[in-house]
Amino acid sequence: MNKIKLMLLIAGMISLVSCSKDNYDAPNAGLHGSFIDDATNELVQQDIIGGTQIEFIEHGYDPFEIQTMIVKTDGTYANSLMFANTYTIQPKRGNFVELAPQDLQVNGQTQLDFRVVPYIRVLQPSITIAGTIVTATFKLQQTVVNNVRKIGLYVHSDSRVGEPMRLVASEQNLNAPSDPNTTYTLTMDVAASSSILKTGKNHYFRIGALIDAGEAKPNYAPAVMIPL
Amino acid sequence: MKINHLKIAILVSALFFTGCKKVLDLQPTDKLQANAIFSDPEGVKIFMANLYYQLPIEDFAFFRGGFNQNGPGPNNGGFAAAMVTDEAVHSEFGDFIGDGDFQWWDQGYKLLRDVNLLLDVVPELSITDDEKKALVGEGSFIKAFAYFALAKRYGGVPLIKVSQEYTGDAEALKVPRSTEKETWDYTIELCDLAIANLGTTKSRRASKYTALALKSRVALYAASLAKFGPLAPMSGAAVSANLVGLAPGDAAGYYQACITASKELISSNAYSLFRPNPATPQEAAENYRVLFENPNNAPEEAILIKGFSLPGDNQGHNYDIWYGPAQNANSWPHPGRMNPTLDLVDQYETYASPGTINPVITSTDNNISDYNGYSAARTYLTFDNPTQIFEGRDARLWGTAVLPGSLWKSVPIIIQAGYVKPDGSTTIRTKEQIVVGGVTYHTYGGPEPPTYSGFDTYGGNNTRTGFGFKKFLNQNAPVIPGWNQSTNDFIEFRYAEVLLNFAEAVVESGSADIAEATAAINAIRRRAGHLTTIAITPELVQRERKVELAFENKRMWDLMRRREYHTEFNNRFKHSLLPLLDLRQLPAVKYIFVRVNVPNSNSVTFQPKSYYRSIPGIGTNGLVQNPQY
Repeated sequence: MNKIKLMLLIAGMISLVSCSKDNYDAPNAGLHGSFIDDATNELVQQDIIGGTQIEFIEHGYDPFEIQTMIVKTDGTYANSLMFANTYTIQPKRGNFVELAPQDLQVNGQTQLDFRVVPYIRVLQPSITIAGTIVTATFKLQQTVVNNVRKIGLYVHSDSRVGEPMRLVASEQNLNAPSDPNTTYTLTMDVAASSSILKTGKNHYFRIGALIDAGEAKPNYAPAVMIPL
Repeated sequence: MKINHLKIAILVSALFFTGCKKVLDLQPTDKLQANAIFSDPEGVKIFMANLYYQLPIEDFAFFRGGFNQNGPGPNNGGFAAAMVTDEAVHSEFGDFIGDGDFQWWDQGYKLLRDVNLLLDVVPELSITDDEKKALVGEGSFIKAFAYFALAKRYGGVPLIKVSQEYTGDAEALKVPRSTEKETWDYTIELCDLAIANLGTTKSRRASKYTALALKSRVALYAASLAKFGPLAPMSGAAVSANLVGLAPGDAAGYYQACITASKELISSNAYSLFRPNPATPQEAAENYRVLFENPNNAPEEAILIKGFSLPGDNQGHNYDIWYGPAQNANSWPHPGRMNPTLDLVDQYETYASPGTINPVITSTDNNISDYNGYSAARTYLTFDNPTQIFEGRDARLWGTAVLPGSLWKSVPIIIQAGYVKPDGSTTIRTKEQIVVGGVTYHTYGGPEPPTYSGFDTYGGNNTRTGFGFKKFLNQNAPVIPGWNQSTNDFIEFRYAEVLLNFAEAVVESGSADIAEATAAINAIRRRAGHLTTIAITPELVQRERKVELAFENKRMWDLMRRREYHTEFNNRFKHSLLPLLDLRQLPAVKYIFVRVNVPNSNSVTFQPKSYYRSIPGIGTNGLVQNPQY
């Protein structure tokens, strides 16, 4: 009887033995910062979807995988769950003159601001509504010699409106360099899209301009909220 | 006892005297040797049948999950490739192109290995030189077909030109990607090898003509990528190494290759258009329908047919159950899923104004871009019956789509979205009824499903565009309500496509063959009932291609190769035509139509990275991934 008890005890103890946790630590570092216009020190407006991507490659892996993060419409970005390590970081497919890749030690919450030259600056933006007609006026200042492919007025019920994320667009193809002295005007009759733009709701309008270059993304003025 | 012991001793000692046979020197008895198969024509047939089965033919069993989706219970909702283009919407799903859709990688290299094994052994076979030549030609055709399917999905891919042998070192088997140009050039080289070696016997196997048709298609694809690639610039490691992308300067050579191959096929006079001179548009529509219902009626046009000859798993297909109108479903629970869009219907010209696009006009203000729904402020055109609005439109529309009020299997197909009440108020896409003058009028034209085929969301069985699907469906037999019961055959290459390829290559490259190209396009139009000969432009050739090849799984690749997808699908809504009963004019029963965004749909945007599929398994195969995956 004692023998059996002993055996049960030993068996029970064996079953209680376990390994210490051998998982990796959870990601405890992060990266955040802004895209800043090198000339004006202002944030460079972006797209939340289909916009500039920050590509980052974590060192120490082969084959490596390119990871990406997106940027908020106001030009800031943050990824608070990264592993502390060295990364090669490069913003790609953006709305500014391309930057070279840089290596960065990410430790804790690390800040990395990108000082960039936006392809186009949308100046003196104004968006007004009269009746059902929304009118946007603005000037363009471009920093590169390429053509401006198109200008557009975009509207969405969400404040993160842009060329890719819109309910309705009013666009004009320029396919020519912009004239810094011209005041460009775009209009949109919201009544013509009454099944999509519901009245009684706030909508956000945003002016954009797209340079004719590679995978370039549009440059914007900040969105303006207008109740319809 | 003693005797027993003795017996055992003898038996045991006997065991020691048994010897081994030379087990390792034996030929396996459960596998056939190459010579045994290929020296017998029947053996060749069996092996070839397997290769042809694996061939990536985008037929009735091709869906976003891949090829041959006709196994047991192939329930993919009937979501076809046409539904990620402007040709159609699904009656329920709003899906677009996902990263994992339309892949063909492992299966591709499996087919290539199978065909390489065949080509390796050809020189050693004890068959005649002519037979060897035929095998080389057929093998090259299959390889070219496979590399085309890979190149249009992935760009430059590893080229496995001969079969690989495993000698214990897996690393040695890893072949890096070739450039996209090398891949297209090799595919065209294989086409040429097939053309040079294949005979002219017509059958359901490759011939010189199928190889020419393939080359025409391949070269046009490559030429378009080279010409239109700059419309969608890309970046990344695969781009820097030229693994994806062709230089614009390469376009001319590829266009010329398409023209040469197409002209050789055309001038061989081996093929022609099926019933090329219909007397009336009605006859043209019926001819067009018959061509796809049973391509075996049209040996003059069908260059390569893939058979779905028998009902049953892995043999029949499911177009009739998925896509027929709800009224003809014959108790199959999920019909009506392929809904041709108003966008496509608008592309069909009217006989009154040939050569120009005439979208369906529904109101006196001629506004065709107002998709906001019925408006009491607009004056809609009224029609005596729901098909009247389509009268005078290209016969191919009538052969492709089931129009509201038209007959299908002798049943008038009722597609109605609602009614305008005598007081001017409306009931649209809400299941109701109204009694006026003792007559009951229902929103959808009937009291309950399946007495109608449109707009009721019940079961996802009714069209939500206003159009049903007809092309390819079998009109002569009731729907058999079970999986894989449709048995009409699929045309992989047909003469009209070669004419369209030829004309496109000519107008896009500015070649001197413009007169022949104009004749080719006008021959296709004549077959569709057009009597006026018109000059051709790149836009006209594309419109002709859209309507002639609609639903033949070409449109998705046309949008890809011409790099039009990201501009055509930028926050894109597809559109419907709502037929409404106008009760304001009772006792006369009139119909009006309203152009709207497809009900319950969202806009979709094509991501430029989708111009190439992601390469699977780069962690082990070590290949460079395509951009942005």
